[in-house]
Amino acid sequence: MRFVSVRPATHVLATIALLVASAPSQAQTRAETLRYVTGSSVNTLDPNIPGSTRESFALSMSTYDRLVAFGRKQLNGKWVFDLDKITGELAESYDVSPDGLKLTFRLRKDAKFQDGSPVTAEDVKWSLDRCVTAPILGKAQLLTGSLTSADQFKVIDPLTIEVTLPKPDKLALPNLATVYPMIINSKVAKEHATADDPWATAWLKEHTAGSGAYVIETFKPGEQVIIKRSEDWNRGSPGKPAFFKRVIVQSVPEPATRANLVERGDADIVVDLQASDVQSLEAKGKLKVISTPQYNSITFVSMNNQIPPFDNVNVRRAVAFALPYDDMFKAALFGRGAPLFGATWPDGKPLDGIYPFQAPVKIDLEKAREYLKAAGLPEGFSTTFSFNVGQSSTAEPMAALIKESLGKIGIKVDIQKLPDAQMSTQINEKKLPFFTEGIVAWLPSTDYFYRNFYTGNQRWNYSSINNPELAAIAQEARFEPDKAKYEEDGRKLNAIHFSEMPQIPLWQPNQDAVMASSVEGYTYEFHRQVDYRDVSRK
Amino acid sequence: MTGLAATMVRAGRRLLSSLPALFGVLVFTFLLMRVLPGDPAVFFASGPNAGKEEIEQIRKQMGLDKSVPEQLVFYLSDIGRGNLGRSMMTGQPVLKDLRERLPASLELTFTALLIALIAAVPLGVVAALRPGSIVDHGVRLFCALGVCVPTFVSGLLLIYVFYYLLGLAPDPTGRIDVFTSQPPQRTGFLSIDFLLVGDVEGWWAACKQLILPAVSMALFVIAPLARITRASMLVSLGSDFVRTARSVGLSWRKVVVTYALRNAILPVITIAGIVFSTMLGANVLVEKVFSWPGVASYALDALLSSDYAPVQGFVLLMASVFVLVNLLVDICYGIADPRVSIG
Repeated sequence: MRFVSVRPATHVLATIALLVASAPSQAQTRAETLRYVTGSSVNTLDPNIPGSTRESFALSMSTYDRLVAFGRKQLNGKWVFDLDKITGELAESYDVSPDGLKLTFRLRKDAKFQDGSPVTAEDVKWSLDRCVTAPILGKAQLLTGSLTSADQFKVIDPLTIEVTLPKPDKLALPNLATVYPMIINSKVAKEHATADDPWATAWLKEHTAGSGAYVIETFKPGEQVIIKRSEDWNRGSPGKPAFFKRVIVQSVPEPATRANLVERGDADIVVDLQASDVQSLEAKGKLKVISTPQYNSITFVSMNNQIPPFDNVNVRRAVAFALPYDDMFKAALFGRGAPLFGATWPDGKPLDGIYPFQAPVKIDLEKAREYLKAAGLPEGFSTTFSFNVGQSSTAEPMAALIKESLGKIGIKVDIQKLPDAQMSTQINEKKLPFFTEGIVAWLPSTDYFYRNFYTGNQRWNYSSINNPELAAIAQEARFEPDKAKYEEDGRKLNAIHFSEMPQIPLWQPNQDAVMASSVEGYTYEFHRQVDYRDVSRK
Repeated sequence: MTGLAATMVRAGRRLLSSLPALFGVLVFTFLLMRVLPGDPAVFFASGPNAGKEEIEQIRKQMGLDKSVPEQLVFYLSDIGRGNLGRSMMTGQPVLKDLRERLPASLELTFTALLIALIAAVPLGVVAALRPGSIVDHGVRLFCALGVCVPTFVSGLLLIYVFYYLLGLAPDPTGRIDVFTSQPPQRTGFLSIDFLLVGDVEGWWAACKQLILPAVSMALFVIAPLARITRASMLVSLGSDFVRTARSVGLSWRKVVVTYALRNAILPVITIAGIVFSTMLGANVLVEKVFSWPGVASYALDALLSSDYAPVQGFVLLMASVFVLVNLLVDICYGIADPRVSIG
């Protein structure tokens, strides 16, 4: 018996010895490899394809270049993208004409596509034309920067391109730094275009033709993507390619497994762990945890302003004063985020003109009851509160707390958990009375938030608010060149928001990036994923 | 030889007679997906600026702008040409996705079933030999534990112990370590493909990845297999022919293995067949926990996002597998008991 039990032990020892012996040669390449694990997956190599995931956005940042890119700044000691500092990427420099109607970009002379051919103004024009003409996602995005037609892009000479605007739109330039207007090798793409598909969308979905920092090595949709460094790329720091020689983007659906992987050092960086795991990993202190409030994203409790009883402003106010904010913040997010409640406004006016703003709401059941009385519903009413399955780890505890708290003022809440597709359908059809959702804006300026999320009969206007004054101010602010006036418009909008209470902004959840202690340079980007070009290993 | 030919002919006939059932499954799933609430177009058009236009465009791309009967006709004619449609989720043709993922699921399920059978049959036999003894109770307890603990709990537990604490198992992320290169694809079964190219190191790496998920799946199905083995062994041990065999003084081995077990194995094969088909479709949780790129997790993701084509393709695949497995079980019957013939 004893003899038998020894054999597996020696076997294990032999395996360990083998592993140890082969370790040094592996370690060399391992240090130069970034392994990023995620619960989502890359589903297309062209982020413009409808249905593309956030991971596809992040990947395209590394495989393609844009004309310009966002700089970065420190916010409370953490690096975040800087909307106001726009630097050249493929453009060596750019000029904005004094009237703000002409943007001129001069391309870098040394920029080459991954097949070795130079990047020309023709390629830039073709790519931007594609973005505003083809039936792809870029069209709706560039529209927000007054970029709507191919006529606006003009080739001046092989290295100069000019963009004309109908109005001096502040968001035109930042829009060119977003995910969609990537610069494609037009010669290669045209070879794969067909009569039905003149912009080669089908081909670009599975192939890349860019000038980016990384080249696709293997692409397995839904599983993993491996990219390797393009040695000629020098758009990050002058004369240097990106740091990591290889990047592995791997889908690991189970959050607990992702936490294990990064804790054991098998994965280098992850940004989508559960709040509870982040907290315990942070407490152990072995890993680097960088938590940045996602200052371009907001979580709401939303009410449909067109459906009774939420069409009554006093009902909405009553709800706003009956939510257990602190408990929700702790239960759902473990306090990991920036709260948008509990402010004090000394003179009852907004403190500034920036959206999102911290509102002077807190739980005050007496006040809530008064508002209900004023609405003519002193006895309360019944309603349903909906959230989608994908958010259940945060929304479920929130819903239970809301139900309990609203019950105290007579509002009976049924909790409804909907599959993601069903939830988006119902929101689109404006059928949900009371629900929680989140929004993200790539270009977080006050007027952009108000125009996109508080006006029009469209999907993103969750609260279905229809306030002509708000819409008019937001529209006017868009083209307001004077900073002080813009700020004043912002204050007015925030004041309307607070008095109308169309929906209740709760908080901005943290992006918790958990990484090996050797990983440096992580920056919170507008697309909320890791930009692999930012990071390096010490 | 004629016996084999006759079996093949009968098997072919069986296969043909299952076609109407498959067709029914096809139409039923198609309609079910359309009845379910949730508009896939709205879900997939969820980029930060997707508006009405994008939704319409996706609807057109998925063929949802046509009426349901029209869609059904298109769908059936596509199936007839071997086209299962395209997945919005992965952006790939469903057939390609399934072809890549089915071997992963099959390899895992086969291994799990093998482990389960190797553990369950002896356990059942031992329990049946001494009913009511401490061994019998021990087996019962073990089975109860296996069934009580859901597969994802045992999976997470195994990961915690063997990967996180002991560091013996490789990281639980899919079929092979990301740093190991894939073998050329022949069968799709990594453990076979590695052996075909003579890469022992790769083979061992693939096997190491396979062990934990297979064991956590096996734990769950040991119980039904062991229980059925025990019950049917009890019957066969108590029967006349075993008493006769004992009375003429045959060896213990001959009595138990050759006579009792061979007669008791029929129901075990039936259950194994059912267990196999269920495992293949129902091991979503194990696939999720171990990031296993199998068909079940693929179908679940598709279902959550109302991605019609993959779900329909998956159900069709499962129905076909079920038909094949049943056929295989019937053929196994014939081998185990020559009196049984399929027809």
